[in-house]
Amino acid sequence: MPESDDGFLLDRLIHEPGRLAILTVLSSVADADFVFLQRTTGLTKGNLSSHLTKLEDAGLVTVEKRFVRKRPNTNVALTKDGAERVARHWAQLERLRAMSQPDPS
Amino acid sequence: MDRKGIETAVAENAQFRGLFGVVGGLLAILAALGNASWGPLRHHWVFVVGVIVLAGLTWPIHTFYTDHFARATPSTKHQVRLAVVVLVAIPLVILGSLWLSSRASWSLDLPVNTTAITLGLVFLLSIGAAVGLRLHHVVIYGGLVILGALPVWERGGESGNTGLWLAGIAMIVSGLLDHRLLVRRFGPSTATGMGPDRAGV
Repeated sequence: MPESDDGFLLDRLIHEPGRLAILTVLSSVADADFVFLQRTTGLTKGNLSSHLTKLEDAGLVTVEKRFVRKRPNTNVALTKDGAERVARHWAQLERLRAMSQPDPS
Repeated sequence: MDRKGIETAVAENAQFRGLFGVVGGLLAILAALGNASWGPLRHHWVFVVGVIVLAGLTWPIHTFYTDHFARATPSTKHQVRLAVVVLVAIPLVILGSLWLSSRASWSLDLPVNTTAITLGLVFLLSIGAAVGLRLHHVVIYGGLVILGALPVWERGGESGNTGLWLAGIAMIVSGLLDHRLLVRRFGPSTATGMGPDRAGV
């Protein structure tokens, strides 16, 4: 049986398209509110909420719920662990993409 | 999924709050009218009241944008880039305009409108660094620079005032177009149009 190649392993928590979109958006900002995440990722409110719960439980994001001028506001930011893991995930995807390119020679 | 597109979206959210630009443009026009002592603005206090009223508009505008549009804080990297432009490039532009036409002994003393040139270049540089120029920025502020660079201006206060008028109009028009872009990009969501499994950026 061939040895497993860690180069093919992807982080399943991050690799889900919705969560990958959320984490990619958050990796480009200091923080963002729920509506911004919804508009940039195209996810529905329920979907986004569900993904954020999973990411928060895994310690990849912090979710702060507060009131801004008496209106509820949810602010989301990447944790240090989240930033490292999503960067590693993108690097992994790049490695896989490079492996799939035909050898120029 | 385009990371650069995401960073642009964040910058657009902050930069295209164009109603602030409209207020800025009105301030520039008010300053031009004040310099010309036009009508009631011949009284200095009227000008001060005008500035206070316009400055006071910024709070309800800020509230409007915060309440109706999404919000994200640009990354530290992005803020540093913008700070470098503001601290380095803009003073260079101002020095450059003084070199083109001023009373300084080292000035070329050309018949150009340095107010229009300076403000046009400042806006082009800062918008370019913050979010990247859109076509209307290039046309409006590039046009302002070109107008100012025409060798037809008289030296002295009058051309400076005309420069303020031109800059004010440019800021108002650009501000309205920016606001329109923001509404399109971050306005009320048509959420039913977004599939539950779509994760497009």
